[in-house]
Amino acid sequence: MTKLQSYVKETITYKAIYMLLHYLHDFLETFGNISFRFCQVLKYLFSFQINFKQLLEQSSRFAVDSLPITLSIVSMTAIILAMQIAPEMVKQGGKDYIGLLVALTMVREIGVIMSGFAIISMIGSSQASELATMRVTEQIDAMNVLKVSPFQYLFLPRVLAGFIMMPFVVVISSTVGILTGGLTAMFAAKDVTWLCYITSVWQGLYIRDINIMLFKSACFGACISLISSSCGYDASGGAKGVGIATTKAVVWSFVAIVIIDCIFAAAFYV
Amino acid sequence: MAIKVQNLTKVFDNKKVLDNISFTVEEGEILSIVGFSGSGKSTILKILCGLLSPDSGIIDIGNGDVAMVFQYSALFDSLNVLDNISFALNERKEFKGKYTKAEIKEIVARSLKTVGLEGIEDKFPHELSGGMQKRVSLARAIVTKPQFILYDEPTAGLDPVASTVIEDYILRLRTETKATSIVVTHQMSTITRCSDKVIMLYDGHIVFRGTPADLLKQDNPYTQQFVSASTEGPMKITASSF
Repeated sequence: MTKLQSYVKETITYKAIYMLLHYLHDFLETFGNISFRFCQVLKYLFSFQINFKQLLEQSSRFAVDSLPITLSIVSMTAIILAMQIAPEMVKQGGKDYIGLLVALTMVREIGVIMSGFAIISMIGSSQASELATMRVTEQIDAMNVLKVSPFQYLFLPRVLAGFIMMPFVVVISSTVGILTGGLTAMFAAKDVTWLCYITSVWQGLYIRDINIMLFKSACFGACISLISSSCGYDASGGAKGVGIATTKAVVWSFVAIVIIDCIFAAAFYV
Repeated sequence: MAIKVQNLTKVFDNKKVLDNISFTVEEGEILSIVGFSGSGKSTILKILCGLLSPDSGIIDIGNGDVAMVFQYSALFDSLNVLDNISFALNERKEFKGKYTKAEIKEIVARSLKTVGLEGIEDKFPHELSGGMQKRVSLARAIVTKPQFILYDEPTAGLDPVASTVIEDYILRLRTETKATSIVVTHQMSTITRCSDKVIMLYDGHIVFRGTPADLLKQDNPYTQQFVSASTEGPMKITASSF
C-alpha cells in the first residue's frame, strides 16, 4: 500500500463513504434475501405444500399469544386519544363526532399500526430469535441435509399464519379500542352518553375502510413474519449473532410496516 | 457406493481453506479426516452433503442419500425424540404418505434400538445427556437408510466411556447399513478403532494419507506432531487452530 493510499484511508471522508457503502451493501443484501425468500414462500404456497400442523401451531402463537399485549396497547392508545379529544370536542360543540373520530382513527390507522408494533415486539422478535438459534445450532443445516426445505417447513407456515391471523387480531383490538375509547370519553367529558358515542361510531365506519384495514393488516402480518424469519435465518456466530438478528428483524419490520402503511394511505386515501 | 473427490477447492475471505484436495472412499469403508481446527475438515463434509458449494473440483457420490451426524447433534429442540427421528419420514417429499403413523413409530423404535436407546420417544432433546443426544442424532441419520454417513466430530464433548459407546455404534452402523462413512475427528481412539483409511489436512492440503497403523508409525513429521500432540513441528499453531 502506498503512502498516499494509507493517508486517504485515514481521512474522515473515506471512512464515511466506506461506512455508507457498507450499510448500502447490507441493506441490498437483506432486501435481496427477503425478496428471494418471499418467492420461495410463494412457490411452496402455490404448489400447495403447506404443513398444516405447523400452520395451526404458528397461527395459535400469532393470534392467541399476542392478543393480550395487542389489546393493552391499542386500548391504551384509544383511552389516551379519547381523553385528549373528548373535552375539546365538547367545548367546540362536536360531542356527536367523538365516536366518529375515534372509530376512524382506529380503523384507518391506530388499530392496525399499533397492533403491528405489538406483534413485531412479541411475535416477530420471537420468530427471529427462534430461527437464529436454529441457525447457529446447526438445526437448519440438519433440516437441509434431511432434504426438507426450511422455506417450506419454517417460512411458509409463519408467513401464512401472519397473513391469516393478523386481521383477526386487528379487528378484535380495534373493536376493544373503540369501546374503551367510548367509556373514556364518557368519563372525560360531560354530556357524552354511550348512545351518542355509539351512534357517532356507526357514522364513522365505512365498509371500504374496514376492507382496507383487513387487507393492510394481512399484509403487515405476512411482512412481519417474512422479515423476522429471514433475519433469523441469516444469523451467524452464536449468542451475539442471535441478538443482532433479532434487533435487525425488529428494526426492519418497524420500517417495513410504516412504509407499507404509507403506500396504502397514498393508494387509497389520496 | 463410493465417494470420489477430485481437485476440490474452497475459498473463504480470500483464504484457500481447501486447495486441490483429492481422495476416494471405497464402498462400505470408513475414512477419518484429521487435522487442526480450522484446517477445512468440516468444510469437506458440508460440501459433500450439499450445505456448501465448492469453488472448483469434482465430487462424485452418485445419487446416494447422504446423512450427517453433527458435532453438537443439531436435534430440533422443539420436537421430541420421535418427531426428531421421524422428521425426514414425515416431511420429506419422497417419504410423505409412504408410511402410516404406526409404521413410523415402529421404524423409529427400531432405529432407537440400533443405537441402544429404547422408550425415550416422548423425551425432548434438553432432557437427554450429551451422549444420548449423539445417539438420537445417529438414529435420525440412519432412519432413511442412507448410502453415506458423515460424522462431524461425533465424540466431541463426551467422556471417554461415552466416546467408546459412540465409536461402537459407528462400527455397528457400518456393519448393519453397509454405508460408506467419513468421520471428522481429533480423537485417536476413534481413528484407530473405526477407520479403514485416514487423511490429514493442514493449510488446505492433504499432508498424510494411509491407514491408522501408518499414522501411528510416526515417519511423517506432520503425523508425528499430531500424534504426539506437540506444538513443535511443521504445523504452525495459529489462533484459528484452537
